[in-house]
Amino acid sequence: MTAAVGERPPAPAPPAWRVRPGARLIWLHLRSRRVPAAVVALAVCGGVLRAALTWHWTFSSGPYAQLIPLIIEAGAAAAVAVTSHSPVGEPERATGRWLPYLRFGTALALTGVAIGLLQLAVTGAGLNAGILVLARNVIGMTGIGLLTSLVTGGLLAWTLPLGYMAFAQYALLEAWRSPWTWPARPPADRGAWICASVVLAAGLTAYTLRGARDRLADNT
Amino acid sequence: MTAVALARRPARVLRLEIKHSPVPWVLPLIAALFFFNTYRTAAGFPAIWTVRASVITDHMLFDFGAFACGLSAWAGSREGRRKTTDLVATTARPAWTRQAAVLAGTMFWLVLAFLAGVAVLYVQTARQATWGGPPLWPVAVGVVGVVTVCAIGFTCGALFPGRFTAPLAAIAVLVLNMVGLRAALGSSSPYALLSPATSVPPVDAGLFYRVPPDVAIAQVMFMGGITVTAVGVLALALTFRRSAGGSGRWLRPVAAALVAAGVAASATAFGLTGTAKQGVAGWDIPALHDAASDQPIAYAPDCAGTSFQVCLHPAFGSYLSDMAVALDPVAAEIAGLPGAPVRAEEVASALRAGGFREALRTGGFQESVITGTPPVFEFNGELVGNFLGPFWGIMDPAGWRAGFQQGLLEAFVARPSQAALGNIAPAQQAVVTALMSAASSQPQLPRQDGPGTQAGPSRPQIAAAAQRFAALSPAARHAWLAAHLPALRAGHITLAQLP
Repeated sequence: MTAAVGERPPAPAPPAWRVRPGARLIWLHLRSRRVPAAVVALAVCGGVLRAALTWHWTFSSGPYAQLIPLIIEAGAAAAVAVTSHSPVGEPERATGRWLPYLRFGTALALTGVAIGLLQLAVTGAGLNAGILVLARNVIGMTGIGLLTSLVTGGLLAWTLPLGYMAFAQYALLEAWRSPWTWPARPPADRGAWICASVVLAAGLTAYTLRGARDRLADNT
Repeated sequence: MTAVALARRPARVLRLEIKHSPVPWVLPLIAALFFFNTYRTAAGFPAIWTVRASVITDHMLFDFGAFACGLSAWAGSREGRRKTTDLVATTARPAWTRQAAVLAGTMFWLVLAFLAGVAVLYVQTARQATWGGPPLWPVAVGVVGVVTVCAIGFTCGALFPGRFTAPLAAIAVLVLNMVGLRAALGSSSPYALLSPATSVPPVDAGLFYRVPPDVAIAQVMFMGGITVTAVGVLALALTFRRSAGGSGRWLRPVAAALVAAGVAASATAFGLTGTAKQGVAGWDIPALHDAASDQPIAYAPDCAGTSFQVCLHPAFGSYLSDMAVALDPVAAEIAGLPGAPVRAEEVASALRAGGFREALRTGGFQESVITGTPPVFEFNGELVGNFLGPFWGIMDPAGWRAGFQQGLLEAFVARPSQAALGNIAPAQQAVVTALMSAASSQPQLPRQDGPGTQAGPSRPQIAAAAQRFAALSPAARHAWLAAHLPALRAGHITLAQLP
């Protein structure tokens, strides 16, 4: 009996993965970015926002009424931004052509989930500035977070959204009118929407093409 | 000395942690936030030490708190994040020493940056202030606040070393800060005093009476207790790890004692705060209060003017000439009339209200009155010229002048209770407007429509009567006022009865 005769044929791959390799790729990508945990974190943000509105932790009107929602929106944006970190790092970039699409889809989908969960949380609770401002803030600050990830790496990408949020609090109380301080602008302000969308587009584009920086955040 | 011996020195470990801390990377961002949120806000306040120092706990702690907590969580999660816990367990130092060095290295940068910010703030104030000195209790509260959020963040990071821990911990601290601010501004409960973030104090806080340190002491004790508890929890968690080494046996009771001591300190501070009462210049906590500090602070007022003297607290010395220029013309219009003031003098804004926080909440500041013999116009920086003037960085000199003039004239022609609310009778409003117009000042319409004005004559009718009265010669106005002043003050004169 030869060795070849004694070898058993390799076990066939599970039929499900053979049928849907794309789905497996997406799932592995999402898991590597801790997207399920990010969704939980976003749900926690929504829960805190709901609690703040229900138990009147916020002021009922005026610019002060937007302070806690703005903090939580920054938290949601930060949660999206830190999913940009890849535990695999450099080797992942050489594995195929789907990585940019996966990055783009993940970031965009998580931004949508963040807006959706926060809007769900405030439904019927009377958010002072309305859901349009909420969506705009999440969009803009997520863009800032994705841009930050290119410099600091994904794990520290929460720093600039938080910094912008603290700056926006000042702009809000001082009634700044610049569209770049979009949290301080009215819901239908076109300039503020353009600025927030431009920042998200820039962040998404840069993150899609380059991905988050691998080294700095890992070594600190 | 061998390399091994050197490596065992805690100072060397600490130096290495300081060198490799991620905090310096974020310092430019914190500096930018400090400039916009803290420095600019403080620059808009009058150069009064207590008022300027309020930004330390209101604004600076918010900015630093977010990053202090997030970066500490980031540093605390290092071993767990890199999955090196088992690897570093073989090193010479026990786990608690390593973690303490990491925490101290992170705190070092953040406290240093915080103190640098305070120094910038105080140097700026020292160059502009004309009286008093830097208050240190807000600095102590701020530093302890930074240390507390560092300890909370670090413990969270060490216990839950995930990628979401740092941002979520930072967000949680910010939300807590805002909840405290909401309670401080909207609640009358003394427990809200534990929040470092609160409203801006009155413009003359700490000038006439010392701000008692009672609340600051309670805040330091409360936050210090949280810090000790967080460190104790961290140490306790370390004792249950294999990497604790031989120190686990003695570390566990020490950690438990730390937790107990921290909880006791915070609970004591909480209980003490519940006994707080309104004092002369703020909240007093009986167990911490020094009654000797309730005495008025001696000062020599800055005065200007000859026929009509204007006296201000020396802290407002830079406004003296403007005040004299504002009040002289209207004082001349009423000079010689019964009850006309011969001097204007600044008094404490919250003297009768019983405390700053309550005064802010209820708007119950001491009203401006004309009192004494000879009559003196007593005013304060809050009610007269408050929202109009450069006291709060609002550069509207004409409005600021008019506010003071109106305050003096309203106190002269109306009862004190009416004048305090700007809720004076139509004929009184017309006389005030006419006298201001005669003094070449922009006539002011009523500050607000009170119950008396809503049902009475309209603003155009009041303005017309004022115009009529202002058109009289100075001698005729003077004579009419001399004859009808008691009736005017009592509110018995109607617009139609004005000449």
